[in-house]
Amino acid sequence: MRSLFNWLRRRNLERGLDRELQYHFDRRVADFMAEGLTEAEARRRATFELGGIPQIQEEVRDVWLTRWARDFVHDIRISARTLRHSPSFAITVILSFALGIGATTAIYSLVDQVILHALPVREPERLVLVDWKGDPVANGFGSWNLMSYPLCLDLQKQDRVLEGALCRALTTVNLSTGGEHRPESAELVSGSYFPVLGVRPALGRLLTPDDDRTAGASPVVVLSYDFWQNRMSGASDVIGRKVLVNQFPMTVVGVAAPAFRGLDVGEVPVLWIPASMSVQAIPGFKSMLDRRTRWMQILARLKPGVDIEQARAMLQPWFKALLDEDMRRPEFPRITPERRQRYLASTLEITAAPQGHSGLRRRWGQPLWVLLAATAVLLALACLNVAGLFLARGSAREREISTRLALGASRSRIGRQLLSDSLLLSLAGGALGVSLAPLAIRALISFLPREVAPTALASSLDVRLLLIALGISLAAGIAAGIAPAFQTGRESLVSSLRERSGSGFAGIRLRKVIVTLQIAFTLVLVIGAALFARTLTGLLAKGPGFATSSLISCTIDPLRSGYSREQAARLTRQIRDEIRMAPEVQSAGIARFALLLGGSWNNPMVIVADRRTVAERDINLNAVTPGFFSTLGVRLIAGRDFEEQDTQASAPGGRKVAIVSESFVKQYLAGVNPVGVRIGEGSGPDVKAEFEVVGVVANFSYRGLRDDREQAFFPLLENKNEGGTFYVRVRENPEPAFARIREIVHRADPALPITEMRTLDDQLNRSLNTERMLATLSSAFGTLALLLSMVGLYGVMSFVVSQRRREIGIRLALGSSRGAALRLILRDALFMIASGTAIALPVTVALGRIVEAQLFGVKPADPGTLALAALLLTSATLCAALIPACRAATIDPASALRVD
Amino acid sequence: MLILQILSLGANHGYGIAQRLEQVSRSVVQVNQGSLYPALHRLEQKGWLRAEWKDSETGREAKFYSLTRTGQKQLALEKESWERLAGAVEWIFQEGSR
Repeated sequence: MRSLFNWLRRRNLERGLDRELQYHFDRRVADFMAEGLTEAEARRRATFELGGIPQIQEEVRDVWLTRWARDFVHDIRISARTLRHSPSFAITVILSFALGIGATTAIYSLVDQVILHALPVREPERLVLVDWKGDPVANGFGSWNLMSYPLCLDLQKQDRVLEGALCRALTTVNLSTGGEHRPESAELVSGSYFPVLGVRPALGRLLTPDDDRTAGASPVVVLSYDFWQNRMSGASDVIGRKVLVNQFPMTVVGVAAPAFRGLDVGEVPVLWIPASMSVQAIPGFKSMLDRRTRWMQILARLKPGVDIEQARAMLQPWFKALLDEDMRRPEFPRITPERRQRYLASTLEITAAPQGHSGLRRRWGQPLWVLLAATAVLLALACLNVAGLFLARGSAREREISTRLALGASRSRIGRQLLSDSLLLSLAGGALGVSLAPLAIRALISFLPREVAPTALASSLDVRLLLIALGISLAAGIAAGIAPAFQTGRESLVSSLRERSGSGFAGIRLRKVIVTLQIAFTLVLVIGAALFARTLTGLLAKGPGFATSSLISCTIDPLRSGYSREQAARLTRQIRDEIRMAPEVQSAGIARFALLLGGSWNNPMVIVADRRTVAERDINLNAVTPGFFSTLGVRLIAGRDFEEQDTQASAPGGRKVAIVSESFVKQYLAGVNPVGVRIGEGSGPDVKAEFEVVGVVANFSYRGLRDDREQAFFPLLENKNEGGTFYVRVRENPEPAFARIREIVHRADPALPITEMRTLDDQLNRSLNTERMLATLSSAFGTLALLLSMVGLYGVMSFVVSQRRREIGIRLALGSSRGAALRLILRDALFMIASGTAIALPVTVALGRIVEAQLFGVKPADPGTLALAALLLTSATLCAALIPACRAATIDPASALRVD
Repeated sequence: MLILQILSLGANHGYGIAQRLEQVSRSVVQVNQGSLYPALHRLEQKGWLRAEWKDSETGREAKFYSLTRTGQKQLALEKESWERLAGAVEWIFQEGSR
């Protein structure tokens, strides 16, 4: 630190030292003269005594800054000066570095934000996620790691192990502030949420256990800092204001700390609502205190000194007793003995959760790691490329270096000089890369699923990330410079000085190794790109099973706008009828749950054909109106579609009907006439198979394009049609239809928000964003890598040709054919390509396991893909080698021999 | 230590220190004047000395060194350890002569 400061003020120090020494010298001379010496003699004596001023200066400089550091500074300055003389070389190297470092920094930034970043709460390392391992015998709704609210209350009492426990559920509420109505993301939390996390308020107070004592008794909310700043312009009188949550008035009591954005990086809530208000926040939800309803995630804070293993062991006896106690409750469902056994064998799964709980992390964790691995390979490639360039430059500078060696420079000193070249360039490249990284991050974020609030992820780089980028730059600089540095002066000094034209084969073997490695790395990336591209095209070719063009969808949810069930059903019916009558609309249907959004309603089913069976896995379920299938264009294979009379709660004769998918029939009703078969929702022995199958439809995608679950559909009953997703087939363009639907809904209720309004083409694209991101980025990486390899191979082969010019000239003069010369050079290139491929293929197979889950319709070791990628690489790189090879073939023997 | 001891008597400039050194240790130690300045700068880097430009007795500006608080402590420490060593050596000699 001090030496850095010294270095910065070195000019000042130098001047001071000069004056100081001058003073000493002058005084000494004066004294000697006073003793009677002549001035010349006095000067001589004084100089002799002092022992050489430059020497003292050097010694003092060593005190200021260690010798090593001074040499380094010197090296960097020489590097900068020499590199200015070869700008094209410097620019190529800087761009290579910038590419690798920028890409790595950008991807790492996302990995850090999505996967690694700890919550901004007190001691996040003590937070754990508590999950149920086994059969919870409960209905779940929500995403993952679901638990019941009463279990969280029980856990809070385990104060021997835990400092506290909290539970939370994400939901969407219609939030009205000052005349604006918008669906916003909210976190329903236990009263212990803020105290356990240790978050402070920015204003007012946060929620406390008192807010969570009695259901419905505490209509208070805490706002997020961002929402308060951006949407309420940071009004200081916000405390005490009323906001409408699903049209229910609640009071703002506080604003959370600025950095705190909830527990899920991908879903930033704008407000926190006590769980006691769940009836108001989730319309129709009355199961907060039900032990058999799982809907929240539980996080807990371990006591200091208690680790996860201990916590698990200490909680298990209590949990065991709880299972027994729960089973004896009267409301516990009747279950089969096997299921009871599975239930009783349940344990609590406790995992470290300093980063909170995130669905985004779950979906994106793996793809992001894959991308990080790919960028690391790209960075390695960039380093190899630079190392190759340095070696090429090194052989051009051979004479200079040999001269310096001859003048007494040590090899390590010259090696250090070369290393400082590459360090300087890597730092410059790093700076350029880092300045471009935010753009890259923004582009990456645009691939993220739409639910991710734009505020959730930042594209700016913080200090920590800059340090990491600096570290990467230094490492890359050293990695790229180390081989050329070691290479210097390997050759015998005498021989390289003696040679007149250029040099011998200095470094050519090393350069060939580097190019071979480049080819290997490139092949890995090209294969990855091919796999992801095939996944994407495979999914697109498969399609959702219905025609997406001229199909649009939109969702309304009147229950969240304070409607009663009857009112909501009436409103939905009215809107549906008006949409159907609109001139832009061909047909329309409603589904209870939207397609291609990643979620589904699913449950096991009982199927009664010739005997009673239970479905092996959950069936995807949906409730739809008549005309839904025909609007989508889904083919009816057998039986009939739903009819209006099926939607009456009391159908004639009390008949309840269902339609199943083709895959359902194939899986469970093979060889049976499906029409007339009875099915029921659930798996227990007491489940009644009350639905009669009246039709079979072709398979189509529900959760997403990869989804191939069996499906069953119920008619959306008229009096339960409380909103849902409209699917509308339009006559011409979607835009006028959008406007018409907006107008219809607005006329029915101006305060009712419409969500997810888009074409199905758009929806389909959104559902493929992970696949698209992987395919796009890996193709980009593969192309860049291919270019780098081609340049590398071209460089080496050109060098080889210029080295062997004389040899080839002699061969040609002795009657060898031009074809033979061509082959001679190409054989060299082919050998490198073949060895690169031989290295890459086993690596790819090993890496395949990482990406397997991301693929669709293609195996990681798919021979066709591997062969295609290898062929592409071979032909591209051979093209690059062909140019120097052709040059070799067209050598004029006479001029080649005349060179020396 | 010698430099610290000289400076403990009062601030002085490089030339003055050299003169003093010559006086006190004329016969005993021969200090190369050339190595005086690196030593001074090293002590300054360590924070034992403080330097400032002042007019010297000849009227020309010179760089005056003086002891800092840590320098004084260091001097005391070195004195003490030197005395301990000297005492020990003396004790050994007396033991041997007895």
